[in-house]
Amino acid sequence: MTRMTRRELGRLAAGATVLAAAPGLSFAQGAPIRIGYSMSLSGGLAPNGRSSLLAHKIWQEDVNARGGILGRPVELVFYDDQSSPANVPGLYTKLLDVDKVDMVTSSYATVMVAPSMPVVMQRNMCYVSLFGAGVNEAFQYNRYFSMNVSGDDIRGNYAKGFLDVAAKLPTPPRSIAILAVDNEFAQKAADSARYLSKQRGLRIAYDRSYPPTTVDFTPTMRSIQAARPDLIFIGSYPPDSNGILRAVSELRITAQMFGGGMIGPQIAAVQAQLGPILNNLVNWDVYSPEPTMDFPGIRAFQEKYRARAVQEQVDVLGNYLQPYAYAQMQVVEQALGRVGRVDQAALAADMHANVFKTVVGDIKFGASGEWSEPRNLLVQFQGITDGDLEKYKRPGTKVILFPENLKSGELRTPYGAPA
Amino acid sequence: MSDASLPLAPAPAMAAGGRRHLPFWLGAVAVAVLLFVALRAIGNDYGYFAGYFILQYVVLATAWNILGGYAGYVNFGAAGFMAAGAYTAIALRKATGLDLLPGIVAAAAVGALLGLGTGYLTLRLRGVYFSIATLCLAVVLQTLVVNWDYVGGSRGAYIVRPREVAPFTSYGEYLFLVMLVLAVLAVGIARTVEVTRLGRGLQAIRDNERAAEAVGVPTLRLKLIATALCGALMAVAGAPLPYYSGYLNPDGAFSLAYAVNAIAMPLIGGAGTWAGPVIGAVLLGSLQQAATVTISSALNLWIVGWMLVIFVAVAPRGILGWFRKRR
Repeated sequence: MTRMTRRELGRLAAGATVLAAAPGLSFAQGAPIRIGYSMSLSGGLAPNGRSSLLAHKIWQEDVNARGGILGRPVELVFYDDQSSPANVPGLYTKLLDVDKVDMVTSSYATVMVAPSMPVVMQRNMCYVSLFGAGVNEAFQYNRYFSMNVSGDDIRGNYAKGFLDVAAKLPTPPRSIAILAVDNEFAQKAADSARYLSKQRGLRIAYDRSYPPTTVDFTPTMRSIQAARPDLIFIGSYPPDSNGILRAVSELRITAQMFGGGMIGPQIAAVQAQLGPILNNLVNWDVYSPEPTMDFPGIRAFQEKYRARAVQEQVDVLGNYLQPYAYAQMQVVEQALGRVGRVDQAALAADMHANVFKTVVGDIKFGASGEWSEPRNLLVQFQGITDGDLEKYKRPGTKVILFPENLKSGELRTPYGAPA
Repeated sequence: MSDASLPLAPAPAMAAGGRRHLPFWLGAVAVAVLLFVALRAIGNDYGYFAGYFILQYVVLATAWNILGGYAGYVNFGAAGFMAAGAYTAIALRKATGLDLLPGIVAAAAVGALLGLGTGYLTLRLRGVYFSIATLCLAVVLQTLVVNWDYVGGSRGAYIVRPREVAPFTSYGEYLFLVMLVLAVLAVGIARTVEVTRLGRGLQAIRDNERAAEAVGVPTLRLKLIATALCGALMAVAGAPLPYYSGYLNPDGAFSLAYAVNAIAMPLIGGAGTWAGPVIGAVLLGSLQQAATVTISSALNLWIVGWMLVIFVAVAPRGILGWFRKRR
């Protein structure tokens, strides 16, 4: 062991004094506030899980650079749930009972949020989830808060933008085809399209589901083509979204509006792969870099995210759920800041009562913990000539058609016309 | 004889084993009580969840061993039987409001019937053909569940469990105890099969089915009993799953991990003996659980794969076979 001399001690004390007095620098002190969660860092949900984790880390660095929360640094405690719901209850029990985290947030996607709920409810924890759709319908937990745009009534809201925009077409549509993959989210999307189409008197010319293992969509798309619908609403997941769009392109299928609830075209890698095939696709989304969504802090976040995304091997654009992952932690930060202590009941009361200023805009939670005002976007891909991703960083490529208050362009029809 | 014969640990002396039922049951109950008391003394819910994870594999691996280890019929459909149990519990709760314990009984009945039916239809197939048939069964069951809206279909089903069950400190403790009892029962049943005429008949089938039939072993009847027992125990392992996770969807219920572990654990511990699956499940289950909260990546199946490679190379008869060989 080496002893510190009196001179060295003096230098160290002087250095510490200078640093402490430096203007603009603040240092979090005391025991860290530990925020625990599981995240899908491997398995099927990993692409979005890993990019969400990067967003969380950026938030952690930002908040610690500002002096932490309540003067305490923030520490993230996370485990890989391997995209397996069966792992989730054990991980949350470990987070709460062994790691003794102060707050818990969720992994990404409904199938991973739901299995954590019984454990979180058992401990009466305040819980902010990420992109879970309608999870609290079953649990009715009053300390649950959802970072998801779909709102309370998915059935009445999800396909509303698609059908509202369709209603304004020069030739009003009379028929719709609905196709959805057999999974939880896509079936809810298809259910919404079905419900709202019936309400508006549209004839459902085709209504089918397909198993997630489907790889060849040519027969399915030929069947839809034979039904000659005016609108085609698809609820699909990334591997099948690619297959469907390629089949549609090869078969030269056209419709006044095509898209609806496809998950995949929001992701940079899919945008690079599909290029001009995406032109005129009208699809559900959560964020687009249009002037109407230029919320305070979003550009700074995306600059930091994009600077690290290539190295971290995650989505290079960060135009999908990544800003929402950042906002998920901002909700925790702002609630803790207002309440002034880690008190789960007080935090839940605060989250119910207040508006949160985040990088995805102002958020207010309703009684069930979902957003009080749903904000499902309907965007259209326009003017795409190649797979270059730079254009997706600028306005004008993913034009917002719905809702009206965020609208940034006009609908171009039909889908399937030459770009 | 099965074409896909497995390397098996030598069977213990049957006659002696047959007279030792009482000491076994007493010992098993004592170990279970010790485990429960120890975890309660630690007073940490995570211990119960980790214990549940390992014990469900003890039941699943033991069930697989009855057909795969004793009779030599390799069942690739473990996830299908387990999911059948889970969805039986969900359907029963939805239809009648009955809770976990009646769900387990119903799952055992459904699993046994499913095993019996599968056995009756497929036991004329041998070796890899039988294995492929069981794999197909899991695919058929998954397709059925995906299209069965009553149990949630592709959207999955929610089970809102009670927060506490008297006199337990938490629902996790209750679930752990239920799975502990099921594990003791499963291992006890497997051992009983092993040391009785049923087990000897199954081993004769495994060694040479035609010869066994020639000397009067009722092969079809024994195989049907084995498939029914195997199916029932696998379904029982799955019945508490929706209560454990609170939500179950077809992808989670029919996970590849269950099918792989159900085969890997008996092979690593030593197939064809009641203790082999227990050793394999405790070893692999603990390793996987430890990897999940330490290395924390998708190394679980990678670990299982490497363990299988190592054991096939070093100890093809599993841990038990390796020790017996050394003696």
